[in-house]
Amino acid sequence: MPPKGSTRKKPSAVPSAEGSATPQVPSLAEQLSYLHLARPFKNPNYTKNTNRRTKNLKTVLGQERERERQERERRRGEKEQEMEVDGEAHEPTAEEDLPSYLSIEAPPSVLPQKHYCDITGLEAPYTDPVTGLRYHDKSIYELIKGLTTSAAKDYLSARGVNPIVK
Amino acid sequence: MADTRVIRLPTPSPPSLSAPSSYEPHGDEHTPLIIDNGSTTLRFGFATSDTPRTSSNIVAKYKERKQGRQLLLFGDAVDVESGAKAQGKTPWEGDVLLNFDAMEHAMDYTFIQLGIDTPTVDHPILMTERLASPLHSRALTSELMFELYSVPSLAYAVDAPMSFYHNNGAKPADGLVVSFNTASTSVIPMLAGKGIMSQAKRIPWGAQHSAEYLLKLIQLKYPTFSTRVTSAQTSWMLHSFCEVSPDYLSLLRKLRDPNQLRAVERIVQFPFVLPTIEERTEEELARIADRRREQGKKLQELAAKARLEKLVQKENDVQYLTNLKERKGTEGKREWQNLLQSEGFSDDVALDQAIKKLEADLKRTRKKEVEGDDVIEEPSFPLVDVPDADLDEESLKEKRKQKLMKAGFEARARARREKEKEREEREADEKRDEQDRERDPSAWTRKLRDEHQSLLSRMKERSRRKVALTDRKSAASQARMKNIASLAADDRVPKKRRKNGGEDMFGADDADWAIYRKINTGAPSSDEEDDLLQLQTVEQKLLMHDPTFGDEHTHAAMTSQRSAFMSAFRPQYEDGDVEGHARIHLSIERWRVCEAYFSPSMAGVDCAGLGEVLQNVLTTFSMADRGRLVNNVFLTGAPAQVPGLVDRLHATLRPILPPEMPLQIVRAADPALDAWRGMADFAKTEEFKSVGVSRAEYEEWGAERIRRWWGGNWNASV
Repeated sequence: MPPKGSTRKKPSAVPSAEGSATPQVPSLAEQLSYLHLARPFKNPNYTKNTNRRTKNLKTVLGQERERERQERERRRGEKEQEMEVDGEAHEPTAEEDLPSYLSIEAPPSVLPQKHYCDITGLEAPYTDPVTGLRYHDKSIYELIKGLTTSAAKDYLSARGVNPIVK
Repeated sequence: MADTRVIRLPTPSPPSLSAPSSYEPHGDEHTPLIIDNGSTTLRFGFATSDTPRTSSNIVAKYKERKQGRQLLLFGDAVDVESGAKAQGKTPWEGDVLLNFDAMEHAMDYTFIQLGIDTPTVDHPILMTERLASPLHSRALTSELMFELYSVPSLAYAVDAPMSFYHNNGAKPADGLVVSFNTASTSVIPMLAGKGIMSQAKRIPWGAQHSAEYLLKLIQLKYPTFSTRVTSAQTSWMLHSFCEVSPDYLSLLRKLRDPNQLRAVERIVQFPFVLPTIEERTEEELARIADRRREQGKKLQELAAKARLEKLVQKENDVQYLTNLKERKGTEGKREWQNLLQSEGFSDDVALDQAIKKLEADLKRTRKKEVEGDDVIEEPSFPLVDVPDADLDEESLKEKRKQKLMKAGFEARARARREKEKEREEREADEKRDEQDRERDPSAWTRKLRDEHQSLLSRMKERSRRKVALTDRKSAASQARMKNIASLAADDRVPKKRRKNGGEDMFGADDADWAIYRKINTGAPSSDEEDDLLQLQTVEQKLLMHDPTFGDEHTHAAMTSQRSAFMSAFRPQYEDGDVEGHARIHLSIERWRVCEAYFSPSMAGVDCAGLGEVLQNVLTTFSMADRGRLVNNVFLTGAPAQVPGLVDRLHATLRPILPPEMPLQIVRAADPALDAWRGMADFAKTEEFKSVGVSRAEYEEWGAERIRRWWGGNWNASV
């Protein structure tokens, strides 16, 4: 099996007049790089639309939401039209709600949440009124009293509570 | 402690070059090409091979600094160059395929590795996409495949049902598929081999989130850790140590005991560097000392020479000036004045003064050399006692000068005497103390201990008061407000006294000002420092002479005491222990991180956990269907390899189902690669030909529409 490097252009040999004899050995990274390998399977006529920016997640999800809304409205419009035309109650077509990326997301939990200690992870029956951290027992409370406000905020952000203090 | 539990981080091995496989067998066969495009790894291969080639799904286009070459690295190769790792881009952003340049490079890599050298990729392709993938992602992938690579047909599958298919012998079956992916966890019910995508649900918590959570917990536990923990190391820790516990609450209760905690903890040893202590040998030390001494001597010699020179200079000056003075007699008055001016003296008197000063200096230095350094001579102040009237102007000035000098001298003598007296008093005290102790040791220790206690209680009282003052509603701060109000009040003096002409006598008595010390909470008072010093001396004496008073009773030890639990949870190493400081102890975190699958709100994601979602999905089906689903609960996806998952799901699902319904939970045979294998199996069947979108159909319908089939998505499908 010929090594990958063989399809690359060989690095130009140093002219002997200069005296340095060793040819450059391509480093591992260069051997792994496939920038210069031939890609015959690509269609040279296709130019990617380079003006198109890579959309970020927010815009893509926004687009999905828009599309879904339009679908729903369109369907509602159709149903109304049908009802008007027929003048009788029409069986709603058993059209399953097409799942989209957003509709498939699980809803927030309805079960009561257990409180866990922010410092240790054990159960936390108590909460510190000053910082809002939950703690397991009084020795941990001593520790919490000694925390700086930024450290306390870090613990809270691990739980997802981000207090914004002006 | 030379622990067997201490595990070192694995050293990463460099990636190996993988040669592209030869294209011969597939030349004109149109063998289907299977690509499992995952967020973490890309798996690809022809349908006829048993295992796919895998590679992590990162692309880095990087300009190497040393030789200025452009490099394009894919997958594990990115780890070779550290600069490339920072610039690595993945086509996936969490759960959604967004970056198409990276996708293009990834596809290039796959086709190069498969050795394709025809002008188009002439194989029907079966690719994966996310459950209910956003249409934007699908549109761009289709466009890429059809336009750039000109594939004949393209079909999309969801990875989890394919793995299910493979594990059930490649025939339709019922079951509830739970798919664990990098950035999400999905539940997909399958009935009669068909995926019911409308009832499927997705939880936005996956292996990537677990790793981030673990990293955050480690950073909180070790805020001053010396080395930076990378995400690769975090993933390793996640895979090696983290488990799901079947009953989280009882586990927590068990781990309240520090011994249990120590039993389950794992210690990860990070690489550390021992500080190099320069051990100087005896000879070196002696040599250094010699050198320093010589330098000192040289300096001394230089100083002596300089002094000698100055002395000589001064003598010369004196000689010169005295000569000058003698010439006064020989010259005329005006010439004398001119001479003086040219020398820089305003008149005779100035000349005399200069001569006198120089002579006094000379005398002093000569005496110093003879006698040694500190000579305390009693300076005399003759003019002080002479009454003012007898003196003329100049002598008056002299007298004033002498008075000042005398006052200074006397003040210094007084201070010296007082210091001596204090020292004597202290010595007398100590001697008395010693005598007490020798006479009656137990009484003495009792007295000292009482003093110790009283000091401690006073300090505690003070700190309690300080804490109370921060709380606005406490009695102490209300009393303080009352004091402030009374100080600032307009009617400070009671009415009766004012009628009799009394004024506000605040401040006449020095003790009045003490109220300001009480009000001012911010300033640290010197009382505390005094107390601390006294405490230290008392403790020293007790430590020395009292056998029952140990180090643990001292104030310092008591304040820095940590509970047994905390020292098991986060052991402290001594300051010099570099090895110890580069250790991470994982005890509760091992289960806490994976518990987030079942309750993501623990980590701040406002979503139902896996147990609840399973329950919700099951309730949307009839009892009969539920029975069919629950009989074959199937776990797939690389993160499904976490130990303890099957037991936990069993414990979660069993209570919500009727007792006679059989519940079976199965994990895929090879959770990471089975999806690919399922796709390969499917691609060999006849049905495969009918589920793809052909080139013509793509051009007619556009990039978003696909055919609906049992393993594919339903959105925008026909």
